[in-house]
Amino acid sequence: MNPRIYTALARTVVLESLRRKDLWVVAILGFIIILTAGTLGFFGFDGLEIFAKDLAVTVLGLFSTILAILTSSRLLPDEIKNRTLYPLLARPITRGQLLAGKLLGAVLVSWIAFLILAVLTAAALLVFKVKFEPIMLQYLFGKMMGLVVICALSMTLSAYMTPSAGATMSFVFAFGSSMISRALVMGYDSAPEAIRPVFQLISVLLPQVSLFDMGGRVVNINWGPVQAWVMWSLFGYMLLYSSATIALGWVKFRKQAV
Amino acid sequence: MSEQKKSVMVPFTVAAAACSGWLVSDLGPMVNPVKPAVGLEAHDSHAAASLLGQFRTGISSWMFLRADLYLHNGVEMRLLTQDEVKAGRKGVGNSEADKAQLHDDSLIVTVVPPASRDFRGWIGDLERATSSYKDMTNHSHNNPRTTLPLFRLMTWLDPQFAPGWTTGATILRWENTMPGVRAAHEFLAQGLEKNPNSIAILTQIGFLYMRPLPGHPYSDRDIKHALPYLEKARSVGVGNFDKLTDEEKEALMETYRWLGLCYRDSGKPHEMLAAMTEGSKLYPEDPIIARFIETAKDLISKL
Repeated sequence: MNPRIYTALARTVVLESLRRKDLWVVAILGFIIILTAGTLGFFGFDGLEIFAKDLAVTVLGLFSTILAILTSSRLLPDEIKNRTLYPLLARPITRGQLLAGKLLGAVLVSWIAFLILAVLTAAALLVFKVKFEPIMLQYLFGKMMGLVVICALSMTLSAYMTPSAGATMSFVFAFGSSMISRALVMGYDSAPEAIRPVFQLISVLLPQVSLFDMGGRVVNINWGPVQAWVMWSLFGYMLLYSSATIALGWVKFRKQAV
Repeated sequence: MSEQKKSVMVPFTVAAAACSGWLVSDLGPMVNPVKPAVGLEAHDSHAAASLLGQFRTGISSWMFLRADLYLHNGVEMRLLTQDEVKAGRKGVGNSEADKAQLHDDSLIVTVVPPASRDFRGWIGDLERATSSYKDMTNHSHNNPRTTLPLFRLMTWLDPQFAPGWTTGATILRWENTMPGVRAAHEFLAQGLEKNPNSIAILTQIGFLYMRPLPGHPYSDRDIKHALPYLEKARSVGVGNFDKLTDEEKEALMETYRWLGLCYRDSGKPHEMLAAMTEGSKLYPEDPIIARFIETAKDLISKL
């Protein structure tokens, strides 16, 4: 296992993203955040702190997820379509290493975009004297771990489907999994005994992206930071789910004719 | 494109953008007509007005839901399903000491279930730990006044959003103080200016006059001032009953209830009977209107 392989692959993904001017999108989205904050300021900000924080975490979560999906779901199809996969595979690297390296790059791009947006959002909130709380730091770490899961899922789906179908399904899972999960919880009690294991299976298989979102605790008052076991559990879940997902992607990619 | 052409195009594009921005202000009267348009509404005949109007309504409705969320300090709540009610499940209820009493809590539960009702085990535990979840049995609410700026914002964004005006006024009135009552009246007056035929707003004004404030000039029910608003709500409602939304129909039912009270307390049983008979045709299953009919008949018989 040569770490240089992964860093080199990840570097190409980041450079490609810069070349494509993806970060311009981030800048435009950031401008929208500042503009929204300015509009709120127009109303006088007294009493709107909770709403401003709510808006900030909603926008941050939304934009960063969109960027993560769009970045990671096109990596493999683009390499195949542009035939840049041949020179890559001609080098002494396996397809598994290629996948892992690309994932690392996608995660880095998503994190960079997320942190840029987070800094802009924090600046907008600071203007309105929203105080920093330790839970905000945990929120950032949580979201960053969540982005890893989203990137792994998007890359895997793009190995099995067309790029647009993969991206669409990723959006469905990223934004709809908590809704499906809640529907399962609501329906479980009234479901026949024989079907209940199916509910449990779906619940385990679904990407629980919403677990990584501590926005509700950041926005509302007196919630405080979560305990250490929670952060470690999230880390464990991220490792487990991302590894399992990317392994599934590898199963398809290793036999894929290019 | 040559550099010369580019240099001409840039100011032209900026000017065009500025002009279109300036012209957008003309959409205001279409999106928010002071009086309802005759025939097709603006949002039926103007695509831009429809799009902008829907966007504003969507944002205002979202803010309204967020305000409810903030009252519960971020704990997401949901209504029990019919199956759950049939199975005998109870809502979390609210604390007796809770002064807010803004809605019925007997049929709501937390969206994230408690551990005892969650089959997901570790994942459920993790969700309860990371989300804004707590046991809400006999819960209390945050001070509703913290949500007031949101009501200002949502009614500014969408002046036709009647729940924003009426709930905002309820919150202003909530602390039972004279300034609060005045502010509620002023807030509703602004709402009425934008929505002169809103049954909900007219009824809410009537309700404000009918709700006594002990130890203040509003210590008695002010029937004289309440009646014109309630009567206007009644006439708007009766004339357009088939076109009313569910919310407006609910508001009209309240109108009839308050009208019954007004006519009873002002010693006008004949007017009371006429209004309640009319109301019972529209709301045959409402027990309060039915009881008012009996009361009116009793009062007439004693004349």
